[in-house]
Amino acid sequence: MTTITPYRPAVQSGRDGFGQLLRAEWTKFRTVRGWLIGLGVAAVVTVLLGVLTGGSNDIACTIGPGAPVKHGRACLPPPPPTAPGGQPVRDAFYFVHRPLAGNGSLTARVTSLTGRYAAGQGPYPQLTTPGLQPWSKGGIIVKTGTKPGSQYAAMLVTGSHGVRMQDNFTRDSAGLPGLVSAVSPRWLRLTRHGDTITGYDSADGVHWTLVGTAHLAGLPATVQAGLFAASPDHTVINQNFGGGETGTSDPSQATAVLDRVSLAGPASGAWTGTQVGGGRAAAAPGRFQRAGNAFTVTGSGDIAPLPPGDGNGLGPNITIERNLAGAFAGLIAIAVVAALFITAEYRRGLIRTTLTASPRRGRVLAAKAIVVAAVTFVAGLAAAVVAVAVGDHLATAKGFYLYPVTGLTEVRVVAGTAALLAVGAVFALGMGALLRRSAVAVTAVIVAIVLPYILVVASILPVGTADWVLRLTPAAGFAIQQSVPAYPQVYGLYTPNGGYFPLSPWAGFAVLCAWAAVVLGLAAYRLRRRDA
Amino acid sequence: MEATIEVAGLRKRFGPALALDGMTFTVRPGQITGFVGPNGAGKSTTMRVILGLDAPDEGHALIGGKPYPKLRHPLSQVGALLDAAALQPSRSARNHLLWLAHSQGLAAQRADEVIEQAGLQAVARRRAGGYSLGMRQRLGIAAAMLGDPPVLMFDEPFNGMDPEGIVWIRGFLRSLAGEGRAVLVSSHLMGELEDTAGHLVVAGRGKVIADTSVSALVAAASGDRVGLRTSARTEAMTVLAHAGATVTATGRDTLTVAGLTPERIIGLLGASAVPFSEVSAHRATLEEAYMELTRDAAEFRAAAPAGEEAAR
Amino acid sequence: MSQAAAAGQVCLPGRPAGALTGLRACLRAEWTKTRTVAGPAWLLAATAGLTVAVSVAVIAAVRCPAGMACPVDPGRLSLTGVQLGQATVAILGVLTISNEYSTGMMRTTLTAMPRRSLVLAAKAAVLTGEVIVAAAVGVLGSVLAGRLIMPGHGFTAARGFVPLSLASGPVLRAAGGSVLYLALIALLSLGIAALLRDSAAAIGIVLGLLYLAPIAASFITNHHWSVRVERYSPMPAGLAIQATRHLASLPISPWGGLGVLAAWAGAALLAGGLLLRLRDA
Repeated sequence: MTTITPYRPAVQSGRDGFGQLLRAEWTKFRTVRGWLIGLGVAAVVTVLLGVLTGGSNDIACTIGPGAPVKHGRACLPPPPPTAPGGQPVRDAFYFVHRPLAGNGSLTARVTSLTGRYAAGQGPYPQLTTPGLQPWSKGGIIVKTGTKPGSQYAAMLVTGSHGVRMQDNFTRDSAGLPGLVSAVSPRWLRLTRHGDTITGYDSADGVHWTLVGTAHLAGLPATVQAGLFAASPDHTVINQNFGGGETGTSDPSQATAVLDRVSLAGPASGAWTGTQVGGGRAAAAPGRFQRAGNAFTVTGSGDIAPLPPGDGNGLGPNITIERNLAGAFAGLIAIAVVAALFITAEYRRGLIRTTLTASPRRGRVLAAKAIVVAAVTFVAGLAAAVVAVAVGDHLATAKGFYLYPVTGLTEVRVVAGTAALLAVGAVFALGMGALLRRSAVAVTAVIVAIVLPYILVVASILPVGTADWVLRLTPAAGFAIQQSVPAYPQVYGLYTPNGGYFPLSPWAGFAVLCAWAAVVLGLAAYRLRRRDA
Repeated sequence: MEATIEVAGLRKRFGPALALDGMTFTVRPGQITGFVGPNGAGKSTTMRVILGLDAPDEGHALIGGKPYPKLRHPLSQVGALLDAAALQPSRSARNHLLWLAHSQGLAAQRADEVIEQAGLQAVARRRAGGYSLGMRQRLGIAAAMLGDPPVLMFDEPFNGMDPEGIVWIRGFLRSLAGEGRAVLVSSHLMGELEDTAGHLVVAGRGKVIADTSVSALVAAASGDRVGLRTSARTEAMTVLAHAGATVTATGRDTLTVAGLTPERIIGLLGASAVPFSEVSAHRATLEEAYMELTRDAAEFRAAAPAGEEAAR
Repeated sequence: MSQAAAAGQVCLPGRPAGALTGLRACLRAEWTKTRTVAGPAWLLAATAGLTVAVSVAVIAAVRCPAGMACPVDPGRLSLTGVQLGQATVAILGVLTISNEYSTGMMRTTLTAMPRRSLVLAAKAAVLTGEVIVAAAVGVLGSVLAGRLIMPGHGFTAARGFVPLSLASGPVLRAAGGSVLYLALIALLSLGIAALLRDSAAAIGIVLGLLYLAPIAASFITNHHWSVRVERYSPMPAGLAIQATRHLASLPISPWGGLGVLAAWAGAALLAGGLLLRLRDA
């Protein structure tokens, strides 16, 4: 046998690494026109469905019986006051106050909190029914001024949530529990030191407990300190069996009796009564009586965040996530593309070529997941940005009130929608690798993510079950779109129907991520173990 | 790295069908090794095991001493054409080669080089779904050549090729072996390999039934039989049978003689003055040799149509 | 494949006497194709199984506590599983035709049975038959579960909830209508798959068409538009057939809703059949 000179390759390979695997998968993705079209379709339907649902909305209203029907802006009530952070708030209460020009301390004992409300009496209600609302409030407060929306910190007793310290509308911490009465009074104290206000409560005026500390940035030297009472509308929510709701809302009033009131510090002037804010509070005007250091303060309204939705004084309003409803449609298109990214290789036997080129199978799947997630994120982000911009424009043009959220929240909702689609794509890729049949994989993805949401919003499931469905199924991921949190200090029904998810945005998103990770993990396990 | 494929004791069972039953052979550099056997002999399964796609129940397959999954830049060490139909129909040939090149850290220019090598320039940018089988084979060969590997494997490369393509691929395979590469070419048609392969591995029922050079195989199949044409049939039979040969009458004036060389037959007949008009060594074709060898394996196929197809 | 092709040959015109001709032969060929692969059987079993499973899960989750008004439609509630069952039915409808395209078998089929609209009709008939059987199993199981479980969960006769029974007209309409609903979903899927030929794209369109409408309706605050969506989109309209009470508050009447779905399915089949005839296989 002749001696053979073994072949020496002339071509030099580049470096070995994950980067080139990513590049190969990206090349694969971008060279199939159908997939690029699918990605484009996903972006377009995301925008279109959001814009169509928003664009079909219209505002029409009549004020008073027999009045002409009005449309658009004319229906919008004056914009609500906003908290320092931009959050729309309700800031209406009866305030008995004195100026405090520096550091000081305000103490009072609450011996009674009672209320009355109108029960379903139509447009001109009389406050005849005795009873407190859960968040009827009475107590002491330190506030920048009497302008609605200005900063404050308050110690208060409530209808059914015990003693609370609240500041700047959204912050709320609990103090002593239980109802207040003459035999079981509540002592409240607020001390001011610069921008910092500290709240204490006590059952006996001797032993004090810290309830909370508020930092009110830029609090002026002279603030208004005093007593207040407020009572939100009497709201009856007939919780329909499946989460649908019908509600009535009538004015109410609370009366707080406070004695042993003392304001220590550079206070001046006399106790003055002011109705802060307007709205329905005007229907039940506030007042106060004073006998020495004892006060009886009666007021209506609320000091609280104003959540989006109907019938809360905001008028027709729209949240940012309403513009992003199209993500459901986008997700379906993305599921098709992402599942095909792997099932097409199985169908043609191309997976063998892929695994011959890159024998480390787990890395192949990882590279595919990263590529499909990245392209989906980019397309989803573009779609979400356009959908929000167009949706906001349409809603504004029609006269809707755009419910404001902070910039950070807006970024979270918009980028979160893109991330939701990206993780959905990874989920679909995993399903595709696991099930190997595109139709079955696509169906599995849609059924896992979209169907639970439908069962919940279509009011088929009772609320408790619906909450669990949105905690456990991949549909939990849509929580990332929720822009306004549920405020416990505002009585209401926070259901998925109204856009409130049982999990926090990031926790819900994490549930979806966990599903995607599990499916991808199983797919990798199967890919590694089975013959290709 | 030495350019070899080493297959040792491969066993693999797909359900009730034993696809590989101790397959063992070595492919050496500098020559074309033909890998032949009927459908279901285990050729494709063996190739998939070599490429790390299927895991054997027993045994191992090494490329240059390493199992395939341990290779860095595998396409630069082994090029393979397994299934020419394994293409995304909407992707063009060039883009198919491009992603393969990227997966190996190769430049895009390399894709263009192999397109030219495979003669695909005219169609390289058209969608692969519209390719004829021959064009797909060329694309598969181009993909195998992408990493310029010292070891090459082609599963049924002649399938769907037109006569011109078959001539091209024969020349191409020879030039690869001439460069010192190890080339393994499978086929279920022996004729395709007759003038191409220097070495043959004949598989049947999942194992090697012959591992030999082409000339040795033909000689073995031909045996030492000699054809004889004579007008004195009876006398010739008597003389030769006395000398220890096995003589069979195959016609009115023809005999086949086994056990004696042609020279000895001529000598014996001449000494006994038996007339004869022709003495010829009987030479089998490679096809006959192959049919002889694989008769059992072919029967296996008729008995159990599972095998390779079921394994896919 | 050879088996199906052989069965298909009897579909050719001009066969000797005694051979089956026309639609009957095509039907037989399609039936042979269906029963000789494992996929459809699994999908049919899944349809029945998933329908019952989801219905049972939902029925088990729903209780009517004493003293609470429960504005529940027991018939509709018991048939919730249809909302998942339709997904596997859609897969079946899509794969019935797109599977043949993806494997290239469509050419064999159309060679054996050159009258293409007849092929589609035969596929539709076989599909309808098998879906009706699977759907009937799922629907009956769901109604039975409702009948057995709901009274124990507070839905008692004393509170106006008569145990579900097919002897009651509305319940029979809801149950029978749900079976028809699933059959129509299968036909809609078949038509869309004949249009698109790619199974992944077809299933995406079908499920998008079905599932997006209720979501869109829930997001649209304009009452007119949300009613329009519920009235004319296949799933909300078609599922109106499941209502057994408060029919006046439905966006569309039960049979009218099923008619809307039938129109969707018919349009999809017609368009699919037309393209099948016009396009190269």
